[in-house]
Amino acid sequence: MNKEIVIVGLNHRTAPVEVRERVAFEQSILSDALRCLRALRSVSEGAVLSTCNRVEIVAATADKETAFAEVKQFLLEQEAAAGESSLEDHLYAYAGKDAVRHLFRVAASLDSMVVGEPQILGQLKEYYAAAQEAGSVGAILHRLFHRSFTVAKRVRTETGIASRAVSIGSVTVELARRIFDTLEDKTVMLIGAGKMGHLVARQLKRGGVSSLMVTNRTFERAIETAAEFEGNPIRFEELPRYLKLADLVVGCAGAPEFLLKPDAVEETLRERKRRAMFFIDLGDRRNFDPRINSLADVYLYDIDDLQAVAQENLHGRAGEVEKAERIVDEEVAGFLHWLDSLDQVPTIVALRQRLEEIRRNEVDKSLRTSLKELSEKERQAIDDMTLAMIGKILHGPISRLKKPSDEQEEALCVEALKKLFGLDEK
Amino acid sequence: MDILLLKGTALFYLLSMGVFFLYLLMLKDIYARVAPAMLLAGFVLHTAALAGQIAQNGFPAVTDLREALSVYSWLIVGIYLVVQLKYRLTVLGCFVAPLAFLMSLAGLTFGSSGGELPEGLKTSWLYVHVTLAFLGNAVFALAFAVSLMYLVQEWRLKSKRMTALHKLLPSLERLDRLNYVFLVWGFPLMTLGILTGSLWAGVYWGAYWSWDPRQISSAITWLLYGSLLQGRITAGWRGKRAATLTILGFVVVLGYFLLGDSVFPSRHAGNFE
Repeated sequence: MNKEIVIVGLNHRTAPVEVRERVAFEQSILSDALRCLRALRSVSEGAVLSTCNRVEIVAATADKETAFAEVKQFLLEQEAAAGESSLEDHLYAYAGKDAVRHLFRVAASLDSMVVGEPQILGQLKEYYAAAQEAGSVGAILHRLFHRSFTVAKRVRTETGIASRAVSIGSVTVELARRIFDTLEDKTVMLIGAGKMGHLVARQLKRGGVSSLMVTNRTFERAIETAAEFEGNPIRFEELPRYLKLADLVVGCAGAPEFLLKPDAVEETLRERKRRAMFFIDLGDRRNFDPRINSLADVYLYDIDDLQAVAQENLHGRAGEVEKAERIVDEEVAGFLHWLDSLDQVPTIVALRQRLEEIRRNEVDKSLRTSLKELSEKERQAIDDMTLAMIGKILHGPISRLKKPSDEQEEALCVEALKKLFGLDEK
Repeated sequence: MDILLLKGTALFYLLSMGVFFLYLLMLKDIYARVAPAMLLAGFVLHTAALAGQIAQNGFPAVTDLREALSVYSWLIVGIYLVVQLKYRLTVLGCFVAPLAFLMSLAGLTFGSSGGELPEGLKTSWLYVHVTLAFLGNAVFALAFAVSLMYLVQEWRLKSKRMTALHKLLPSLERLDRLNYVFLVWGFPLMTLGILTGSLWAGVYWGAYWSWDPRQISSAITWLLYGSLLQGRITAGWRGKRAATLTILGFVVVLGYFLLGDSVFPSRHAGNFE
């Protein structure tokens, strides 16, 4: 029976951050989760991908429908552990070609919130390694993941997709330079630990910013990040006190409610004698109240604004996504051919069995009727002769199948054999 | 002779304006170098024309609108050229060149009402007063231009509309600082201009203050700029508020300069009795 890839999951488009957080797989429970996943009856191979923007289960199965049901249940239980249940509405499920395409698009960062951001590939590799360690992936997912890494690499080198995410950072720097004459004497406040926040903070540092403050609800995370950027960690409760020192405020916290409201910002502005402030909101949920932008001397750009500007900056690049999608399509076709060709081994066995069955039947029939006077020695000779005939007949086709020339031809031959000898019908 | 030089001046200002517009359209560096050079050429001719006038009359001819516009545009171009040398604010030239061209064109077209300056007025006070007042106003014209740029840039940043112009305009911080620089230079010049004028009036007319419309409009602008400077230094006024007040102050000056004399007869308009 043919194996198929299925993917069940949710991402930044289908589920709000609270739901994603409830389903997320912490590192500590990951190997247990992978074992549970592998233990599902319909799942022969499985892997988990859990980032701040997506939670997905990738599985190889021989029974798509059961796998969908079981994997969904698996995710529901994961959520139930968090004491809530609203998951069903946010889930998507892909099988076969769609599933392969989905994983390749994820790897190539075409499905990311910020298309082209580079972190997702690293995360995918990490989760693949974890699945390998837990022993939950086999030949099929092994191949699937490795192909997805290749797709990501091809998209990165053959298209301009990657420069789009980087451009969020450079657009931020460019805008900052329209507000501030120089960034060298400016201070950045980085709120939250989101990946985009880090990316933009790094670009701002490269743009000349020398002073950086980092705050996070978890103070330890703030210390870590501050060390990375040679900045100063600030306790989250002290944010209002330090805000007035910041000329640029980068928010990437993903909090359920606004971190800053207009009246607080107005107060801060008064304290800093109305020196301009530039707020950059990179959260998928808004960190800063959009009304802040209507205050004087304050400029607030969220990720959509930045992307719109980036888009305008490289309108010549509009075709890059299509180019990347074409690469994905090519690779999906390649992978599916390979998956089909996995049938080759069972096909050869089935073909041998079929011919052996025919030979056995015909030899027995003859020996029972027209040739029943033959001696034991002669019977043996006929048996050997027919066996050799079958062997000779099969030799050509089988050695050809075992020495694949290209994946497509191989798949075609297997398909032809199955049809011609009716190997599927039993 | 004078007229020929002034025509040449206007021509170079026009050429410079054209190249500045080409720069705005195509953003080629070559235009950014050629345009100020054209302006400089116009400025040299302009200087020669003004020097010729002084040599002829023995005093700067600033008694009617035509002559005033000419001197005024000369000062603005001169100050711009200095600013361009120091700050490389090419885009400011895109404001200055058309202004200079229009002023010199107006200077050529408006007929000379030619109020002959009474003998008693031809004192050195006149030169001091006129020079200071005009310098002050010219500086404020540039402050007006950078404030206008500030408002455009700020509007673009707020509304998140990006165009090539957006990249061309200097940062808000720099525009705001220039606003301050022009204010700090322009305000004392204006103050001294008003003081010398008032002293001169005290000597010639016998009253330091005579509710002359010109004096009133100057006083309004002076108060506006004065409070802006005060606000900037003590209360940290800046940005949009500073830009708006600067524009407002200049509109009062400009409005009076262009309309005032015909609406409110003044002793500054060649009618000196």
